This record gives sequence, structure tokens and C-alpha cells, in this order.
Amino acid sequence: MFQNMVYSNAFLQTEAVDETTLPWLEDAQKLGEQPAADWVKALRHTGAEAFAHTGFPTPAWEGWQYTHLRPLTGTGFHYAVEAPAFDVNVLPPPLLKDSARVVLINGKYRPELSDAPAGVTVMSLMDASVQIAGIEEHLVTVGDLGKTPFKALNAAYTHDGVVVTVKDGTDVTQLLEVLFYNIGSADHPPALHPRCLYWLGKNSGLTVMERHAGSGVYFSNIYAGIALEPASRLKFYKFEEESAQACHFSYTALQQQKCSSFEGFSYAVGGKLSRQEYQNLLIDSGISSMLAGAYLLKDQQCHDFTVLTDHFEPDGKSVQHFKGVVDDQARSVFQGKIHVRRAAQKTDGNQLNHALLLSEKAEASFKPELEIYADDVKCSHGAASGQLDDEALFYLQSRGIPQQQAKSLLIESFLNTALAEVSFPPVRAVYEERIRAWLRH
Amino acid sequence: MTMLKIENLHATVGGREVLKGINLTVKAGEVHAVMGPNGSGKSTLSYVLAGRPGYEVTKGKVTFMGEDLQALAPEDRAAAGMFLAFQYPVEIPGVSTTAFLKTALNAVRKKRGEKELSPVDFLKLQKEKIAQLDMDTEMLKRGVNVGFSGGEKKRNEALQMAMLQPKLAILDETDSGLDIDALKVVAEGVNALRSKDRAFLVITHYQRLLNHIKPDVVHVLADGKIQKTGGPELALELEEKGYAEFSGDAALRAGAKSK
Repeated sequence: MFQNMVYSNAFLQTEAVDETTLPWLEDAQKLGEQPAADWVKALRHTGAEAFAHTGFPTPAWEGWQYTHLRPLTGTGFHYAVEAPAFDVNVLPPPLLKDSARVVLINGKYRPELSDAPAGVTVMSLMDASVQIAGIEEHLVTVGDLGKTPFKALNAAYTHDGVVVTVKDGTDVTQLLEVLFYNIGSADHPPALHPRCLYWLGKNSGLTVMERHAGSGVYFSNIYAGIALEPASRLKFYKFEEESAQACHFSYTALQQQKCSSFEGFSYAVGGKLSRQEYQNLLIDSGISSMLAGAYLLKDQQCHDFTVLTDHFEPDGKSVQHFKGVVDDQARSVFQGKIHVRRAAQKTDGNQLNHALLLSEKAEASFKPELEIYADDVKCSHGAASGQLDDEALFYLQSRGIPQQQAKSLLIESFLNTALAEVSFPPVRAVYEERIRAWLRH
Repeated sequence: MTMLKIENLHATVGGREVLKGINLTVKAGEVHAVMGPNGSGKSTLSYVLAGRPGYEVTKGKVTFMGEDLQALAPEDRAAAGMFLAFQYPVEIPGVSTTAFLKTALNAVRKKRGEKELSPVDFLKLQKEKIAQLDMDTEMLKRGVNVGFSGGEKKRNEALQMAMLQPKLAILDETDSGLDIDALKVVAEGVNALRSKDRAFLVITHYQRLLNHIKPDVVHVLADGKIQKTGGPELALELEEKGYAEFSGDAALRAGAKSK
């Protein structure tokens, strides 16, 4: 749709840019010197225009009442076209042996550090933008940029990122780890805006572990498209373990076709300020879409899960199942919505969020929503926060289990119901190990 | 050898004084029964001994195996050899009974300076003990006490006791919620543990439990104090007359015979 238009980076002359949005957009000009497909240029332009108009959301915005952006907006982050120099030895070892690994450093795909499982094609976003026909369909979502400033900002910087595709009928047996390793800096904190795509062809299957880790101060602002063609199956296990000084914002746009299945789990422990937003569109019938997660927060961390599951057609099954542990002065936010359209009869949708508050100053906010227009559906939601059960704690201690260990045991058991949604045992074991390590902190 | 020595023990719960000067000495190998009406302080005594938060000792002293009990956290009391069989065992969803037993046993062994059991040795021991208690192995896979019947919960308490091999076991109203068959099994489990090195404090409202676990000494606890101490015949006497003589409270006159 943008093919016959020529774009420069003239957006910076738009009147909408003011002193608050300019610093966030001015680095995008550097990208203008690089060759790019027309749709990429158009996307940058549209994104910058939208962000210039809105700036960052304020608590008055729908969906932004609980997550305050001061730690982000109070720091000057800048985008760099070039990746920083780094020592390859700082990369953490793979989570599971026998997996293939794709590495991105500060959002930039590094083929020399990467390998792909048989049946999987991996290329940088910029290569894919000119080599893969029809790819813009899955990477350009302009409709609501005015309501999603982080997505708009990411669009303005369309350049970095990776595209993972699986051909029709290919069942990939080897696990794929996608490592986003971010190198921050207190003096020149980088802003990272990778745009990624996982595109599974008809009746194909893939298991991904997506890791986010790094050091120092940075702002990671990711857009990930997930396109599941009919009868394809994706297991998508996320590890958000960013550095303690980092800000992590991710927007995952999942689009599922007929009879496809998605099983997602997100483990969130990193960053001082983070938000993972999911827009799960079940646009045909017979789709399974399960998203679960666990968040473990301490100190002054703030983490936000915002999830929309949208059923368009009949016979869909969806789950949003999140459990969290909030300690010290940390804050958690869960905003979940299940939307069932008129045609989506026989929908089975379940949403559950429970938070365990370990300190008096810890906070958990929930906004559970069901919006149902079909009349023959089965939907439920539940949200609650509570404290550790003193009686259970005493019972365990009275059997000789030291208090700290008893607390850990109770917290693990609390998180276990969400972890049970992970159907792949080796990954579940990795999550369990990480939860135990967190509890020892 | 004196195992437990309670001297002039006063304790409050939520600011209210419940124990008002208890004196009690238990020697190794002895079984003591503490009987009393509802509200006399029986459960409070068991919780104070086990170290439950919120049960505050305001006066007096408890010595266990020569150590001042007040200085010990609940887990250290367990390691020192104290075991409380709960009147209402707590449900812990998400922690399997086996994992719980293993964690507890190894924690206690570690504190006692013993080696942790290998997984194989642990399973052997567990198998032997559940057979003695006529328990279903299926229970071990379930969350601790989750969905257990009253009888299963009490058997699970007896199982934990058999695994942890305490020096002093306090049985708090172990007969409550049990039918006669379950009562016999649990009592047999307790009797199997009786030895010259181990003592029991059996807390109960009714005499019937003492038909199955024969005490050496019987104490009557009423209004936060031991009112009378005697032999096994005292329990039978209470069965006959009730607790009325130990309290001015008319509500207690219903007595021990009401069930």
C-alpha cells in the first residue's frame, strides 16, 4: 500500500514534535541514510508521526493507570545504528543443550553468533524486508499506533530485529533459543527498538525460548509479530531477565489462523520498569491460545502484563493464567481482557491472576475484563492477592523445615499451578530452577 | 531422665491469659495424658510447646532436653526432637506429601548433624512406614492433606511422626474427627513408637483415646492450670463425673461424658 510513495525523514519537521518528544525521535534521522524498502520507510514515517502526536501515555490513558513511566522518561536514551563493541564471553550459556541459538546484541541480529534448527530460516529484519514476499503484512500494523505509543516509537526506528520463518508442513524438532542480549551504559544509555517476526507456515511446528538479558542501563522496546498459519503449532517460552537498571517494553502481536495452537509462558523477573503487552487475535475457528506467566518482583521493580485475547470465530479455547510474587516495595499490574465476538460461539475462555504479597509495601493491581457478545460461551475470570498462609508456614516449620525454606516451598507451590501450563518438561524444569534461584536471593 | 519440664508457665493469646501457671514434668519413656474441658487451655499448651507465633509466654519456663525452649524457633524444636500432631492438620496445595516428608526429614537430619537420606533410602523408609499405618501410596502424590478425610489427615500426622522419630510427641486431640477404625490404626501407630527413650503428651477431651493409648500419668487441666494429677484411673473417673468439679463455669458441667 505504500509502494508508490517516496518518504524522507521529513517527519521531524512535523509541527507535532515538541521538546518532550523530539529527543525520542531525533535519532531516527540516522536511519534515513540507509537504504530500505518503501514499506519500511513508510512505517518509520507513520510511527514517528503517531508518537510525535501522542508522546508517552499518561495515567489518564486507558490501560496506563497503574504503570508510571518516570524511570523511563527521566532518563535520556539514544538509538545507535551501530552495535556496540562487546566481548562474546559475556553471553550467557544456552538454557538447554542441543538447542540452536539466534543471538541479537542490542537488538541487532548477529548471524556469526547464530545457528538455526533444520527447517527454520532466520534473517535480519532488513534482509527479510526485501527478500520475503508479503512480509509487511505481518510487520506493519498502523491502525492503532495513536493508542500504542511504544509500538509507534518502535515503528519510527524500524531497522533492527530478526525474522524467523518455518515452511509449510515442517515440524521442527530442535529447540530454538532466541537471545536478546543488551549492553547498557550509564553515560550513554541506549534505546533499542528491534522488530521481530515468527512466521509459521501451514501445519508446521516450532518451540522457541525467547530470552531477554543484559547489563547496565538501557531501554529495550520490542515489537514481535507472531503469525500462525492454519494448523500450525507454536510453543513460545519467554524469559524476561533484563538487567536491574533496564526498562523493558514489549508488544507481541499474535495472529492465529484456523485450528492453530499457541502455548505461551512468560517469566518476568528483570528490569526496574517493564511491560509486556500481548494482543492475541484468534481470527478463525478451532483455535487454541494459551498464555501463562509468572512474575517475581522485588526492590522497587514495576512490572505490567497487559493481555487481550480476541475470539473472532467459533470453537476457540483460550487461557490467561498468571501468578506473581511481589516483595519489598515492588508493584505488579495485570490487565487482562477476553473479547468474544458475536460469531465466536462455543468459546471457552479462562482468565486467572493471583498475586502473593510478601511485604506490606508491595502492591498488586488487577484489571480483569470479559467482553462477550456471543451467547453460547464458557468464560471465567478471577483475580486476587493475598499473603503467605501463616498456618501453613508454622506447620512446615513444626516439621523441622527452616522458615526461609518453608516460605520458598509455599511460594513454589503457589507458582506451580501456572507453571503446569508449560507442557514441555525440560523448559518447565528450567523455569523451576530459575524460580528456586530467585527465592534464594 | 527428665525430658520436658514446665515450671509456672503463663501464656497469653491475643492479649488474653490462657495458661495461668502450669507445672508438669515428663520423663523419657512416659506417656502423660492432659485432659480437660473445652477452653481449658489444652491446645494453647500444645502450641506454646511447639512455638506457634502469637502464643506468648509471659512468665515461667519450659526446659526440653535440658534446653530453654523459648530460645528455639519451631524448626529447631523439631530438630531437638519435639513433634506436635495437629488437631487440625493444615492443607498445603501444590506440595506433594512425599516432597514434604523428604524436605522435613532431611532438614531435621541436617540439623541433628546426620547425613541426608539418599532418594532410594528415603523411599524405602517411607514405604515401610506407610505399610505400618495401612496408608494408600496414592496419598503421597497428592498435596499435603489436600482433599484428605479426617482419618487420612490423622494418619498422615502419624506417618510424619514415624518418619521424624521424635523424642517427645504431643498429640493434640488426635481422636477428633476419627471413627473407631481409624482411631485404632492411629493408636497402633503411636503405640509402635512407644519406647523407653521416647515420651508422649496426649491431649484429649475424651477418655476413649486412652483406651487405645494407655497413659502412665493423667493430668486434669482446667482454667489454665493443672488441677489434679493421678494414674490411669483418673481418666475413668472423669469419664464418670465430667469436669464440673474443676470449674465453677456452668457451661463446663456438660462434662466429658457428653459424647
